[in-house]
Parts: sequence; C-alpha cells; structure tokens
Amino acid sequence: MTAGDSGLTLEKLQRVLAVTRKLAAPFDLDGILTEVVAAAKDLLNAEGATVWQFHEESAELVLRVASGLRAIHISSDRGIVGECVRTRALINVNDCHGDPRFNPDMDRISGYHTRCMLTLPLVGYDQRLVGVLQVVNRRDGVFDQADEVLAETLAAQCAVALQRMQMTERLLGAEKLRQEIAVAREVQMGTLPKAAPLVAGYDLAGFFRPTDDTGGDTYDFVPTGDGRVFLLMGDATGHGIGPALSAIQVRAMLRLAQRLGAGLDDIFRHINNQLVTDLPEDRFVTAFLGELDPVDHCLRYHSGGQGPLLHFRAVDGSCQFHPPTTFPMGALPLSSMKVPVQLPLAPGDVFALLSDGVYEFHDAQGRQFGEQGVVDVLRSHHDRPMPELLARLLAALDAFGAGAPQLDDVTVVLIRRLSNGNETPGWSVRRSFARSFDSLAAIFTFIGEALAADAASALERHAFEFTVEELFTNMVKYNASSDAHIELELEGSATELIGRICDLDSEPFDVTAAPDADVGQAAEFRRPGGLGLHLIRRLVDCIEYDYSGRRSLITFRKKRGTG
Amino acid sequence: MFEIDYGDQGLIVFSGRLDAAQCGKAQAFLDAAAAAPREFDFGRLEYISSAGLGVLLKAHKRLMDAGGRLRLINVSNHIHDIFRYSGFDQLFDVERRPD
Repeated sequence: MTAGDSGLTLEKLQRVLAVTRKLAAPFDLDGILTEVVAAAKDLLNAEGATVWQFHEESAELVLRVASGLRAIHISSDRGIVGECVRTRALINVNDCHGDPRFNPDMDRISGYHTRCMLTLPLVGYDQRLVGVLQVVNRRDGVFDQADEVLAETLAAQCAVALQRMQMTERLLGAEKLRQEIAVAREVQMGTLPKAAPLVAGYDLAGFFRPTDDTGGDTYDFVPTGDGRVFLLMGDATGHGIGPALSAIQVRAMLRLAQRLGAGLDDIFRHINNQLVTDLPEDRFVTAFLGELDPVDHCLRYHSGGQGPLLHFRAVDGSCQFHPPTTFPMGALPLSSMKVPVQLPLAPGDVFALLSDGVYEFHDAQGRQFGEQGVVDVLRSHHDRPMPELLARLLAALDAFGAGAPQLDDVTVVLIRRLSNGNETPGWSVRRSFARSFDSLAAIFTFIGEALAADAASALERHAFEFTVEELFTNMVKYNASSDAHIELELEGSATELIGRICDLDSEPFDVTAAPDADVGQAAEFRRPGGLGLHLIRRLVDCIEYDYSGRRSLITFRKKRGTG
Repeated sequence: MFEIDYGDQGLIVFSGRLDAAQCGKAQAFLDAAAAAPREFDFGRLEYISSAGLGVLLKAHKRLMDAGGRLRLINVSNHIHDIFRYSGFDQLFDVERRPD
C-alpha cells in the first residue's frame, strides 16, 4: 500500500514518524500521554484528545490526561469507549449527542461540547488492550476515512510506547516497594539488642530470624539499673510490615515504661490496653514479659498467649512446660493484673523462651521439630554457654529441616543461672565487636581485663590474644562485605580457659580442616592464613569448628598451667 | 480445604483447615450472620492458625458487645493445646471433644 492509496500524504507520514521518534525517548508515563494527545490533536486537526488507560484487573478505564481534569475512573463496559474495548475496532461518530451510545456526563463535568469523535483501541505488541484513544471535534468538520487511517497509524505507535512505559512503571514500583521493605527490616533489626546484658550469676542469649523480609516477632533485654532485667518476647499475628510495626511498638512501650520506672504489672497492663486501642479487631500480640532478679533468683512474669515456656531443671534434668498466664496482648482490656508467676531458678537451670516458629519448625514432610526436639537439645547442651546452646539449637533446627523453607519467624531467648563454682565455667564474659581491624584494640582490652581478673599467666594471655587476633582478622579479611558483628566469649575455670569466636554471617571455612602450613616453604607458595592457624594449633590444646545457618563458631581451649 | 456452615440449633460447624488463606471465607460467613453467632462446633476442624484465632477473637468481641461469650465445642486435643498455649482458653469457653 502506498501513502497515496491509504490517504496518507507523505507529509503526514513524516509527521507520524516524527511522533514515533519522540515516543521512543525516555519519557515518564505522563510525558508519553501528553505527547500522544498533542500528536493526535495536531495530526487530525482536532480540538481535543484523550487517552484512557485500560486496567484489566478492575475492568476500568482510567483517564490521566485531559486538559484541566483529574484522573477519572469509568467502567469499561459502557458507552462508546466500552464498545471499543469490546470490539477492539475504530468507531467514528459524526454526531455524538445524536448517538445513544454517547455518555453526555463527561461534557457536563467538563463544560465542553463534543460534536464528533474518533475512538480507537490501543493494542500492544502482544495483542493486549493497553487503552483507548479518543479524538474529538475536527476543527473544520467531521473525521473522514483519511483521518481514520492516520489515527490508526498513530494509535499503533502510541500503544507500544504506552505499554512499554506501563511495564517500566510497574517495575519501578516493585523496586520501590522492595527498597521500602528493606528499610523496614533494617529498622526492625536495629531495635533488637546488639548483645545480651551482663547479669551477675546469669548467662543470657537472644536470637531472631524472620521468615519474610520483616517478621512479627521481637525480643528485648532491658536492664533496670539495679541489677534486674526485663525480658520481652513477642509475636504479632502475621508477617510483613504490619506485624513488624506492632512488634516494634510493644518493644518501644516497654522501653519507655522502664525509663519511667513502672513495675512489671503496670507495664504489662498498659501495653495491653494500648494495643487494644491501636490494633484492628482481629489482631493481637502474644507476648511474654518477665523480670529476672539475680539476687533472689526468681523470674516473675506475665505471659499473654506466649507459650509453652520451658524450664529445664538442672537438679534432675527434667523439663517443665508452663502455659501462658493470660490471653494475648491487645485482645481485650485488662483492668487489673493477677499476681505474676514466680519461678525460682536453681543453679544450672535454663529458662527457654521459644517462638512457635521453633516448636513448629517443619521438615519437607511437614513433621514438626516439636517440644521433644527442643528438650533433646537442651538436655545435651544445657551446661554450655547460652550463645553455644543457641547455636546448637539453630543447628538442630536446620538439620531437622534439611533445607525445607522456614515458614515462621524463629525467635529464641535463653536464660541460664550459672552453677555455684563446682562446675565449669567459673566465669564467662561475652562481647560483640564491629568487623574491622579498628576493633583489635578493644578486643585486646577485653581479653586483658577478663584474664587479669582470673590471674591468668602471661603465657595464657599471649596464647589467647594471638589466637583471637588470628581468627578475628581472618573473619574481617575473608568476609569483609558482611555488616554482622563478630562475637567473642571467654570462659575460665580452675582447670581450663575457653574462647569462642562467632561469625554470624559467613561462608563455611573449617579451620580445623585447613592443612598445616609448610613452614619450610618459600613465602610465595604459602596459603594466606595458613601460618597463623599452624601456630594456633600449637598455642592452644584444642580447637573445634561448628557451622550452622551462616554462623561459624570456633571454640578453642587451653588447659591451665600448661604454659 | 475449609468449610463453614450452619448445623443444628444455630450451631456453626467448622471443618477442615482454617489457615491464613481461608480466614476471609470464615470471616465473610460470620459477618453475614444476622445475629452474632455464639456456638461453634469444631468437631471436624483439623487445624487452626493464628490468623484463624483472629477470626474467633473478632467473633468473640461482637458477642461481648451483646453481653455474650463465645463457646467452642468438640475441640480436638491438639487444637485445644493451641488455645491453651495461646491463652485463648481464658477468653472463650472451650470444650474438648468427648472421647
């Protein structure tokens, strides 16, 4: 078909091509729509033009550009545009107000008088309807057959440009949402304790691993300043940003209440009553709120729907599961509180607060880790420092799941009353350090103070400083991109010194399996780190490696008095 | 699969698995009930998630406005455990399934 046969003059064809070139430029959606409207008016000598975007999900046509009008939504099954959507064919109406399909409402809204109108479907490259183009009021009469051909040529170009832009905007929207969720997660993870507080005679550990980018669980340790510490673990129903906000709110209210000097009962009641006001009717937060007193060795608590609560008794190795004390927070107002449960903790006892994501952890066959799974880990490792028990529990969960996806947030808070000196560890200290060589000074101070308090020998101190520096700098060098802190824990007793260094976010590298350095080999053939590991093996008596999740745990031991 | 329907004497019968994906169906059914339902038969309910507990909480609040209290009957042992471990047994009347 030549330009002459179709009624398209060469000059008009060139103008369509000019529009096509413009539409290929990187516009935003509004820019494209404005360009299409301007081109249609210009090419067809029309007073006005409108681009309706078709929303397939809602079966609506949405108008984003019409001079001076805001976005308008109309059903896609009515009027002339509706027919165009249905038939996907051009409709040329010479006398709109004489046509029963014409909806005069738009004229009433805009104060405009529509005489004649061309309506064309905008069909994308994949034959999907993208929108509808309407051109109104040819300045010198009505639209003829040549106008129809020209309009269809223009519409074909516009449809592809519009579709490309809609897809781009959807991608940008998804990316924006992803970034916002990432920020929400950062805020939520930022509210978790960086390290467990030091409580005289107790060993604490906490952990949270959300299933989505953000989860509804939280935990906190809040020291009161007089030796006691408040313990919180909460689980807001659901996952994602909404429950994460509720979890953060509970934690913030606890922190503020503690600053204002409120007691356990009042804190629980007021947080509950505030949540009743704030949460939607079908939402609630299961929450444990306890107060550990290291002087009378009593854990006092209220538990709103958070259970089971596990008490391991060191004296006979038994495990007792306690139910919650009341309904979940936010379910109904509380006008008064019952007396809190008072749980005495004997030497060696462990109190474990585990979210249902632990008990209900599934393997690929849908079996649950269950209470027995938890009890087995606790019975085997209850006498270990709590960060290690935590690591063992997570390793057991991952081994049980065997790669099955985690379906629920996993949150763990562990409390152990240390034994009375007749059992290692005699003492235990723990701190986390930023992943940077700049932390070394603080690490040496930490080691020095801990070992000085135990009257360790200079040789013992040197062995520990060397070993920790070697392992720490390896973690910094070979895993520099991670933001996770590195945890260091030291334990001592009359017979043994123990160090543990834990990288929470690393690839596996088994230091115990690394080959011994050939100290006779020329420097250029030596593996990095090899010599350091070689020396560590000679400075300490035993080195162990454990990897679970992305957590590398290296434990080293040195017998006392061996130099 | 989850089903909710009227049983005998105004009972509302739950069956199958009430998980997060099915809560909309349960909620829509309860919302459509003319009077606030007060007795649910859980005899054939196999599973309930925390989202399902939210549906029950909402039904309970609606009843409380009318001075009532939600009653659940024929509750299986493991669902009863969920109520006990979530503290919801302290909100509603929960009766176990007779053996």
